[in-house]
Amino acid sequence: MTLFLQTVLNGLVLGGIYSLAAVGFSLVFGVLGIVNLTHGIFVVAGAYGALLFFGQIGIDPLVAIIPIGLVLFAVGYVYQRTIIQWAVSRASLVASLVVTFGVAMMARNGLQLVFGPDVHTITPAYSFMSLTLGPLRMDVVRLVALGASLVLLVVLALVLARTHFGRAIRATAQQPLAAELSGLNVRNLHGLTFGLGAAMAGASGAIIGIVQPFTAASEVAWTLNAFIVVVLGGIGSPAGALVGGLLLGMINAFTAQYIGPSLTQAAMFLVLVLMLLVRPSGLLGNAFGESR
Amino acid sequence: MNRTLALVLGAIIVIAAALLPLWIGPFYTRVAQLFFFSAGMAIAWNILGGFSGYWSFGHTVFIGMGAFSAAHIVHRLGPLGDGPLSMIVPILLAGLICGLFAAILAYPILRLRGIYFAIAMLGVSQVVGELVNNVSWFQGGIGVFLQTPVPSGTTPEDFFYYIFGGLLLLCFLISIAVRNSRFGYALLSIREDEDTAMMLGVATERYKIMAFVLSATLVGIMGSVYGYSVGYFTTYTVFRLDFSLNLIVFCLIGGIGTLFGPIIGTAVMLFITQVLLSRFLDIHLLITGAMVVAIILLMPGGIIGALRSRKRQANQVEPVEAEARA
Repeated sequence: MTLFLQTVLNGLVLGGIYSLAAVGFSLVFGVLGIVNLTHGIFVVAGAYGALLFFGQIGIDPLVAIIPIGLVLFAVGYVYQRTIIQWAVSRASLVASLVVTFGVAMMARNGLQLVFGPDVHTITPAYSFMSLTLGPLRMDVVRLVALGASLVLLVVLALVLARTHFGRAIRATAQQPLAAELSGLNVRNLHGLTFGLGAAMAGASGAIIGIVQPFTAASEVAWTLNAFIVVVLGGIGSPAGALVGGLLLGMINAFTAQYIGPSLTQAAMFLVLVLMLLVRPSGLLGNAFGESR
Repeated sequence: MNRTLALVLGAIIVIAAALLPLWIGPFYTRVAQLFFFSAGMAIAWNILGGFSGYWSFGHTVFIGMGAFSAAHIVHRLGPLGDGPLSMIVPILLAGLICGLFAAILAYPILRLRGIYFAIAMLGVSQVVGELVNNVSWFQGGIGVFLQTPVPSGTTPEDFFYYIFGGLLLLCFLISIAVRNSRFGYALLSIREDEDTAMMLGVATERYKIMAFVLSATLVGIMGSVYGYSVGYFTTYTVFRLDFSLNLIVFCLIGGIGTLFGPIIGTAVMLFITQVLLSRFLDIHLLITGAMVVAIILLMPGGIIGALRSRKRQANQVEPVEAEARA
């Protein structure tokens, strides 16, 4: 029983991180209809950013989230307004998928050239502490990571639900033409949404950096994780990302505990394929409704 | 193009290719062998991805399955025949196994479209790869041997040069036959508008499955020969994400859905990465990525598409809508 509860706890913590790492991907997919294969790069870039801030100036990764988020927001905005916008208008929406894939290859290679192919970890002072609750144990970093993920997800959900900016994003996602006719600058909003997605990915990267080791090559895994989370949970909403992320975390933890740690990838993809066949729009469906 | 002219040109190219190993050294024979192998698979991918528009991101599953099938057949049944002829049965059986696997997989997975199909195939390749790696019966983790019965008097690189060359020719001829048949037109109609095609009475389900099985069988055969050519392999030698992605990149650069596109794209890409940049291994990804981005932005139809539209521009005014959209 203890083992079971411990596994649930591990799954929840892992799931929280998956959710945050995927929510930007989900938002971009839902609003722009673009499958952004560069997403994992933003996550890994966030982790490297946190590494730089921590190693060079000694800033805690959780504080570094703010500058990292701002930088990646700008990068994401410019990237969408230039390369992705060009690809969509000159070729097609599917072509944009391939473009993001090409950019991801370049960026991964670039990161490898700058930081080397070694595995990095960030170890703040609290990284070796752990809490015990009866027979259950949990590292403090993991709890901090889960807490930070939940806070950021709630903030994003509130922004989307309550602010004018959030309403504008949702309107753009539902009916781009109608949104434009109502006086919204759709192109600009697309850029801003993409920037927001990149910033969330960067923030998750900073948190992932303190919990897990990372390399430039782990971007592939983070992109795929984001896709699986979206397929499991649903497109476009923080709630969908949370549901999908927690589910993925559970699948991962339970497979590692009860079947074998080397089969987690296989289990995740098996669930992905089954889910695609049964309900491709995810458990919570597309947040932006029937219009697309 | 004139039919006789095409035949004569084709014959000249085949004969030139057959004589080529006499002139070039072993390194370039290996590069050419890699080109034949990659181009053959790109053509096989193109039958599904190019003609019917179902982009598979996981075709490496058939390379791996073909290679491991051949190895296990040889390992468990013993050599079937003497010398190079002993390769025939394992290779054909490997192709058959891949075809069967595809046929079973086809019905559920081909109901998915676009990006969902692409990612589901990626998932399939990951799941199968992990299973082969971790289920000890398959021996994917420790690796399997597949001895090559190279006939005496030839070197392995020459031997596989001719085998892969023959397979490329086979794939190319099949691709031409498919493209010019009722089957090929059905696939094109699926790519253009699947629902309309179905409504007009095209048996889309059946044709999609046929294309999927054909593509899988060809890649499985190539994969089993690849297994022979490397001699010893583990899961990660043959179940490789970059195999899957390279096939797409090759087709994309040459021109997806065209007959010559996959061959031209493979030639260009391999020339750049293997010959021009053979000393700069650490920036291969950067170059490949940059090529992909440049191709999409500058000539979305690939090299063939760019050539065609230039030909068309000679007797046509630039359409105004294209300007307005950009």
